[in-house]
Amino acid sequence: MATGTAPAAPLSPAVFAILLSLAEGEKHGYLIMKDARAPQGGGVQLGPGTLYGSLDRMMRDGLVEESGISDDERRRYYRLTNLGQSVLAVELERLDAAVASARSLGLIPHGGRS
Amino acid sequence: MTQSPPRNNWLERLYAVALRLYPPPFREAYAPSMRQTFRDALKDRTLSRRTLIPLVLRDLAISLAKEHLAMLRETFSRPALLCNALVLTGLATGLAFALYSIPQQVLRLGANDPQIAMADDLAARLEQGIAPAEAVPAGSIDLSHSLTPFLIAYDDQGRPLASQAQLNGKTPTPPSGVFANVRQHGEDRISWQPRRDVRIAAVIQRVNGPQPGFVLAGRNMREVESREALVGQLAGLTWIGMMAVILVGTAVFGWYTRPRTA
Repeated sequence: MATGTAPAAPLSPAVFAILLSLAEGEKHGYLIMKDARAPQGGGVQLGPGTLYGSLDRMMRDGLVEESGISDDERRRYYRLTNLGQSVLAVELERLDAAVASARSLGLIPHGGRS
Repeated sequence: MTQSPPRNNWLERLYAVALRLYPPPFREAYAPSMRQTFRDALKDRTLSRRTLIPLVLRDLAISLAKEHLAMLRETFSRPALLCNALVLTGLATGLAFALYSIPQQVLRLGANDPQIAMADDLAARLEQGIAPAEAVPAGSIDLSHSLTPFLIAYDDQGRPLASQAQLNGKTPTPPSGVFANVRQHGEDRISWQPRRDVRIAAVIQRVNGPQPGFVLAGRNMREVESREALVGQLAGLTWIGMMAVILVGTAVFGWYTRPRTA
């Protein structure tokens, strides 16, 4: 049951990577794992146990919800809730501010990948 | 439909066995999806076995521990369960304290019994005008070793007049505050420590009449204190036993009333 309590920032790498992956739309477990592993998805090596454990807690927190099950009932699809979208936006703003600060300190070259 | 290579089937079967190690509610909710995710990962040609297998092994170790801990937390951190355990712990602690303090008090108060009568008798004899050297029975009891009750008569300033007892070759004298208190109240019953390793259950009475002073009847508390220590050990063991019963009872009750859904 969703409690609707947003987790405190900063989010764990797994939670952030899952939220970021689902921001594109509903996905099943392996697609989320694959997105998370990619550098643009956070570069987080998620295994099935960590993935479904995180999804379970995120569903309780009301960040994601199940959107469907495949015909053979083995693939579950997940999507972001409104709260999940807000939490992701807050986290991205926080990271953006940190990157801007690093850039102003010359730690990241201007125009470089952030 | 494409057939999976035999090695994939073998790895998947092995993974399915490992999934049985997860807590039942988590397993029931997610094992089929986890198995499907693992199957998808095996089929993904962009993910080498050398990357996948260590990743899954590490994930199994970490997430198994995490999910079991989460299950234990959910099972045993329920407020009603914790509240019951705390109330029972409080009751058991109170009971163990009573089991120690009541016999301890009975033993300590009982340690004064012969001295009360002895001090009474000696005070009465001195008030009749009998000389202290005559009224106090002869003898030289070594306070550090003997358990025999003894008598000492003191003058009005607290100086010994006659004594049955010796410690380090001298008649011991209680602190002057004790005499001041007895002068005011007529009697005092104290645990007196004339030397670090010697404790005396002492009854001190005021002597009135033509030659006022004090009498002290005492007895080494060594035996009484060893019984008190035994009572303390028994109460301590009882407390540990009750704590173990509460712990096991709470664990069993918590397990059978645990939430059944992931």
